Formats: sequence, structure tokens, C-alpha cells
Amino acid sequence: MNKLHLSEDEQDCLQELINVAMGQASDQLARYLDSFVYLKVPSIESVDADSLATTLDQQQAAMAVVSQGFFGYEGIRGEALLVYQDEDSERLADLLGYEPDELSKDEQLIDISSILTTTFLNVFASQIENQISYSAPKLLPSRANSLSEHLEQLTFNWDLALKVNINYQVTDYSFNCNMVLLIPETAINNIKVVLNRILEEL
Amino acid sequence: MNPTVLICDDSNMARKQVLRSLPEQWHSNVQTAQHGAEALTILRNGEIDILFLDLTMPGIDGVGVLQGIQKLNVDCHVFVISADIQPEMQSKVLGLGAKEFLRKPIKADVLQSNLEKHGLL
Repeated sequence: MNKLHLSEDEQDCLQELINVAMGQASDQLARYLDSFVYLKVPSIESVDADSLATTLDQQQAAMAVVSQGFFGYEGIRGEALLVYQDEDSERLADLLGYEPDELSKDEQLIDISSILTTTFLNVFASQIENQISYSAPKLLPSRANSLSEHLEQLTFNWDLALKVNINYQVTDYSFNCNMVLLIPETAINNIKVVLNRILEEL
Repeated sequence: MNPTVLICDDSNMARKQVLRSLPEQWHSNVQTAQHGAEALTILRNGEIDILFLDLTMPGIDGVGVLQGIQKLNVDCHVFVISADIQPEMQSKVLGLGAKEFLRKPIKADVLQSNLEKHGLL
């Protein structure tokens, strides 16, 4: 299984690129919610691909997962999963003030996930001089194994899952979600090359 | 005379990005801090003319540092350099005495034109 194996400098560089991307994603979220979003330093970890699917599958019944594919240049591509525990997606629905006749809760969750994913990845990509396009976001059915079935249908082999733990506090509310980026080996290598180019330029 | 500078950011890379945007001849007068508490200690003891301050940091964050500066009555020019670009945050830090809000990643020309704007370069 391929892992990131980053040096301390590379890790710091990746963290900073992610902080900048997350800052702009939070700004978009704040605009969407018409509220101020309190931002913490997001923690990142790389997780074993096999164990990820198993763990998430076990919890699937109590989770909402929105999945969206992304494609850039030079082998940068992958699938972004926004993972919410049920209590968090409920809180989000409260926060958005769901009204019948308006967007359904599911549609709101898809909207918000897509805002977070695309803003995050656009800003991340611009910092590594790449440009990304997206497939339509999709809310996975909430039943056991729907995630692993979905992952099996992906048209590429992913070798690494980069998990970004995000915690948002919005005025009186707070909600957590995880952004999990599934990326293939070519993308990992490309990211490492870019991290080192950035570090050399400093 | 070159000003004394403090760069406060939890990221080594971000500190370097600020440093390399500063004039070469300033470099020997630059100190760094990795978090807010460290910055406040330096600000309290030393004579810092210019502080470049990140906001999102573990422990005492940038807003905490700005509040500390007011409390301690420290006289220095603060430039906030942050990824948290929400308008409400920008007006908050300007209200707490920061001279400018600059967005990350910082570019040398942006930093320098802002220093010029305040007569520091």
C-alpha cells in the first residue's frame, strides 16, 4: 500500500497549502450560511485504503457521504468524499433553516459539500499550478456497503486516502465533517514533486 | 535604520514566505515565533517595530495576540497575513488595531506595497 511518507518540511508545506485552501472554502461556506465560521487548523492524515473502506462501511448506516470526482493535469485526479455523522448532517439542516418546498435536506447537503470540495480543490490546485474540473456530486444511499460499491465503480485505482478532519463552528452551532481525498499513485508522486519545487523556491 | 521584525506563524513555510518577501538588509533584524504565546513574550521584552501575524494557530491565535498587544500597550505595526479571509474576520482584526489584512499565500509585491503604504519601506 502506497503511503505519503512526507518529510517534516513536506508535511509542513502540504499543511500550509491545505490551510490556505480550507480558509477560502470556509469563506464560501460562511457566505452560503450567511454567518461567520470559526476556523480551526485542520488536521490531516493519510489512511490505509483498505481499512478506510471497511471502517466507513461499518459506519455507513449512521453517516451521510457525498462523493465527487475531480480531474486535473499531470495525473492529478481522484475522488473527494465529504463524510458527515448523522448528528452533524441534522445540525447542518437546522442551521440552514430547512423549509418545506425549498431545497430538500439532501439537496442542501449536496450543495454544501460541493461548495466545500470545489473551493478547497480549486485553491489547492492553483497553488500547485494545476486546474481542476469536477463530476457532479452524488449523495450515496444510506445503507450498508453503498460506499464500497461506489468505490468499486470508480474508473481509476486509488492508492492513497488523504483525510482532512474539518471542524466548523458556526455561531452557536458546530459541526464536524471529514473530507477524504482518494488519489492514485501518479497524483501522489506529482504532489510530492510540486511540494519539493515549492520548498526549493523558498 | 532597518526596522526590527517579528514573524508569527505556526507554519515554517509560511514564515519563510514572509521572510523572503522582505528586503535582504532587514533579514538580520527578523525574529520568528511559532505561536501566539511565544510572540507575546517577544513583543513584551523586545522592541519590535513590525509584526507579521497569522490568525489560525493552535493555543493563543492571532486575535489573541492582537488583544494582548492592546492590553500590554505594545507599540508596533501589525500586518495580519491569514488564510481566514472572511470579511467579518478582516474587519475584526482591523478593529483590533492591525494596519492591514493580507491574504495567504503572501506575495512579495503585495507585502512591499503595503509596507510602502504605511511609510515603512
